[in-house]
Amino acid sequence: MSTPTTSFDDNGSAQPRVLLVDDDEVNLMLTAIALRERGFEVVEVTGGDSALAALAETAPDLVVLDALMPGMDGFQTCQALRARPGYAQIPVLMLTGLDDDVSISRAYRAGATDFFVKSSQWSLLAGRLRYMLRASLTRIELERSKFRLARAQDLARMGSFDWRRGEGLGQLWLSPEALRVFGKNPDERVSVRALLRMLGAGQRRGLLRMLNEVVTHNAVLATDLSVVLIDGRQRVVHVEAEAEFEHGHGIGYTGVFQDVTDRRVAEDRIRHLANFDALTGLPNRRQLIWRTERALEHSRRLGHSAALLLIDLDRFKNVNDTLGHAAGDELLMEVARRLRACVRHSDQVMEGALEAAGMRSHRTLEAVGRLGGDEFVALLPEVTDEADAERVADRILEAMREPIYVAGQECFVTASVGIAMFPRDGLNLADLMRNSDVAMYAAKTAGRNAAAVYTPQLAGRGREKIELESHLHKAIERNELVLHYQPKVDVRAAKMVGAEALMRWQRGSVLVPPGDFIPLAEETGLIVPLSEWAVREAARQAKIWQQNFGFADSIAVNLPSRLFERSDLVENIHQSVSAYGVPHKAILLEITENNLMKDLHNVSLSLHRLNEIGVEISIDDFGTGYSSLAYLTTLPISELKIDRSFVRDLGITPQSSAVVSAVIALARSLGLRVIAEGVENLRQMDVLHRLGCSVMQGFLFARALPPDDLETWLKQTVLPRKAPWIGSTSDEPVPRVVGRV
Amino acid sequence: MSEPSDALLSARLSAAGVLDAQALARLQELDPGDKAGLVARVLTTYAQSLQRLLEQLRVARQDADAQGQRHVVHTLKSSSASVGALKLSALCADLEHRLREGLTLGLEGPLDDLCAEGERVLAALRQP
Repeated sequence: MSTPTTSFDDNGSAQPRVLLVDDDEVNLMLTAIALRERGFEVVEVTGGDSALAALAETAPDLVVLDALMPGMDGFQTCQALRARPGYAQIPVLMLTGLDDDVSISRAYRAGATDFFVKSSQWSLLAGRLRYMLRASLTRIELERSKFRLARAQDLARMGSFDWRRGEGLGQLWLSPEALRVFGKNPDERVSVRALLRMLGAGQRRGLLRMLNEVVTHNAVLATDLSVVLIDGRQRVVHVEAEAEFEHGHGIGYTGVFQDVTDRRVAEDRIRHLANFDALTGLPNRRQLIWRTERALEHSRRLGHSAALLLIDLDRFKNVNDTLGHAAGDELLMEVARRLRACVRHSDQVMEGALEAAGMRSHRTLEAVGRLGGDEFVALLPEVTDEADAERVADRILEAMREPIYVAGQECFVTASVGIAMFPRDGLNLADLMRNSDVAMYAAKTAGRNAAAVYTPQLAGRGREKIELESHLHKAIERNELVLHYQPKVDVRAAKMVGAEALMRWQRGSVLVPPGDFIPLAEETGLIVPLSEWAVREAARQAKIWQQNFGFADSIAVNLPSRLFERSDLVENIHQSVSAYGVPHKAILLEITENNLMKDLHNVSLSLHRLNEIGVEISIDDFGTGYSSLAYLTTLPISELKIDRSFVRDLGITPQSSAVVSAVIALARSLGLRVIAEGVENLRQMDVLHRLGCSVMQGFLFARALPPDDLETWLKQTVLPRKAPWIGSTSDEPVPRVVGRV
Repeated sequence: MSEPSDALLSARLSAAGVLDAQALARLQELDPGDKAGLVARVLTTYAQSLQRLLEQLRVARQDADAQGQRHVVHTLKSSSASVGALKLSALCADLEHRLREGLTLGLEGPLDDLCAEGERVLAALRQP
């Protein structure tokens, strides 16, 4: 019977579809015609049964039901329809007689959306239907947005609540999502009391006090609660709510609960990462600065002293270098653990309480922290005097005494501690840090494994030196050290026969000569890592030259005697040359005569072992020391180097040439090579040559040059035979007086 | 058989005093310009329905079926009003009221009147 027009569908706006049910065919017909006239699509049926049967196929947007019908009447039809899945919300209009009050109320009970008194005023009916459709759409939208809100809240672990003032703690209503936040089922009820029971006892009292305050003033409520759920899980729940008013009186609150545990955990983690050292778990530099500034503020206000202890491990680099970084890290962790026990260390500062609570709260600032590397700081926020701080420093030195087991072996670690006192040694963090640093280096200079208190004299006297040392300390890591090479020349053959490596320190734009830092390095022990580095670097350079121009001679490296005492010297050199794939003889070690004599006994064993693997030894500054000539016969020495002081006076004083010829004769008789250094002019060269020494080094030939410059020098001066020193000897016959060495 | 035009039909029936002219005019408004022969179709449907309902009423009276009688007068009341059989509609309304109140006495007269009016309207509608 329905004749749907397509014109509405064509322009996209769907015609509302009405299922019209009336047993009176006349009314059915008229109503249908009237509604179609007004833009509805109408499906006509004449009874309740056929209406229910037509539902699925019709899929109406609304249903118009005559109330009184034979058989299944409108009320029964409506009830049956509502019971069908999907039809709980469809708008149903019940048509009743004008004076039929009973039917009207029955209609609502049966689930009708509205009623309409039959009349022939069709516009009214159409208007009512349109209104119902709009209301229904609004309702569907509302349902949808309620659903979306619930879902969004669920995802955000959030849920709403309402609280109404009332007897005792009032009435609390939680949405299903809010119940879920507290680990409850949607059908459970949670009273205020039950909620309070989920808080710890300590928190409960404070919260109640706060709630009272908030509720009294109808203020905004926003706080975090730590709750323990029924399954024992600990969660942090954020609550935020605003007061609701009726006639100007606060009647309760409405707001949300949100589980913010994850966020809180992440925040805590970020805070921890930002403030604590990842390796040792100690406060890091940033946290130490923060604590120190707080502590100084407090000291300033209350007029007491504080102390800053800078703790630096002695020779930690050795551990790292010999046992590896993993072992180094392990050692630092153990050191951190011991240091922490030396002070009243607090991981957490009672931040808020700092101002408010008792006078002693600044004590929680006390801590040991790690500045980086092997540097630690102990902050003592309140000390009576410097003796107080020294006691802590002694505790620290004592704590290091026990060996530390790392990488399966015992390590003995000592520390040097510098103490600076507030306000005496500095009024701010920067001064205290610098002065504790000065004191620490003073302790190191004095022999390490000790504590030193800062004094102005300390700074005045050794300030520069101490700063220099502190920088030299880091020079290797920062790649600030370079080697320059002075060629050794055989003037007879007019060619380079080797080079001596000389260390330079490229400090910013300044090239520091060795005289300015080698003595200091010797004094502080830094000479050891410096020399080890020099051997490695020389081996690397030998390889490069080998590749660039077939260099097959040796590079001489100066070593202090203390290095020869080290049991791992041979192994070190072996590793250095192996690393670059050059033979052992590519490295020649120079030791001064004085050094050699000082430690002859300890050094000789090393010399033998070095000689066995092919590393040659040269005696530097020969002729200046109190040599026992006997040792020359027992030691595996390959070369004597005539000291520059004799060379300088050659041709001026007869004594000098006497010494030089004696050295040459000695070398010849012992089968040693001889080389003269400090050759600055052709006169000196001539005399040496005549005396039988043809291998030399000095400014006459070349200064110590950067490796690239040395190559240029070779290419532009030696190979084209352009230097003044080349013509003057090579043309002469070999003098008779000079014996073959 | 070709239906007489709605306008003619309406004029005849109202002139005969069977159907209300105003009601017929409202029906005609539903079908402006007479295109669908709406009035004729409605009246045909009404006539069929009226005949069936009068028969149902007779049976219900014989059986003393008050519910059946009530249903007939209820239905007839509104459809008669729609086509303008106002007298018949009024009789139906009166009887529906009495039946709903549960009255059983004194119904015979009004029921007879109703049947007579029904037959009269039916006869008028069936006039060629």
